[in-house]
Amino acid sequence: MMARSVSWTDPKSVALLLSRVSGSSRPALSLAHVASGASEPSRPTPAIAPVRALVAPKPPEPKVVPQIEQTSDNPSDRLDTLVAWTLDHHRCTGAFVADDNGLTLAAHGISEAHVSLVGPLLSALVSVRSIPGIDATAGALLLGENMMSWVEARTERGGFCLGAVGAEPLSTLALEQLKEALEITLRGV
Amino acid sequence: MIETKALDLAVQDLRNILRDGLVATDIWDRTDGLSLAGYNQQPVAVALFTRITSELESALADSGFPPLSRYYLMDMGGNHTAAVIMHGTLLQGMLIDNKRANLGILISVAIPRMIEAVARAKVR
Repeated sequence: MMARSVSWTDPKSVALLLSRVSGSSRPALSLAHVASGASEPSRPTPAIAPVRALVAPKPPEPKVVPQIEQTSDNPSDRLDTLVAWTLDHHRCTGAFVADDNGLTLAAHGISEAHVSLVGPLLSALVSVRSIPGIDATAGALLLGENMMSWVEARTERGGFCLGAVGAEPLSTLALEQLKEALEITLRGV
Repeated sequence: MIETKALDLAVQDLRNILRDGLVATDIWDRTDGLSLAGYNQQPVAVALFTRITSELESALADSGFPPLSRYYLMDMGGNHTAAVIMHGTLLQGMLIDNKRANLGILISVAIPRMIEAVARAKVR
């Protein structure tokens, strides 16, 4: 004869305890029921949707960026227009124009302290450009949590830099657009 | 020979660039102190900066320092900057409100344009 189990896992005892603590909100699940492997009442099986061929999502169409329109001869207006155009048509939260000494000519959404790093940056690139085949008139720089993408254009009065600050660096295409816009703007400055 | 009308146009261009950041400017002949063009002209400043410039030039020369080149700046009280541009025999003084004008625009745009415009006015 088998001795009666004193284990706390005695199914009847556990079921009784469960029914006490669970109250009336939810019927206690009998351990025997669980132990027997009985499944819960079967749920309605959802209808199987017709299988559709998996198609890779189309890459987003490149955004068409209109060429900058400079309607004023005033240098300050032209620089402000360039900054506004950059903010409107490129992924950035701040934009600026600086000279090659790092002095701000126009800016929005970026401190002058950050703009001032353009001075040493462009100075450092002078020696980089001495390497044959290296243009080094555009690039991106990590500023803590942000990326500063920049392009440079040179005039008789020295170099000027257009920068855009955002979470990601700008694409090569975007940098080309920035450079063209900067060159157009500087024609009247 | 200097065409004063061209100087007036240059001053107007300067006002357009610096807007209300330009408090006053004068362009004068340093030999006789005669102002040829300007905006909110200041005869006392003309005399003062003629003297300061001459003293500065002689002090630099006596000390064996390089001479003044295109311009010099003075940071002044009340958020003002004085800029003096050397146009050969002509001098130009500018009083700038730092809170309204941008130093980058002044140095990289306004001063180079002014130097070119005055040079053109002198050769006409």
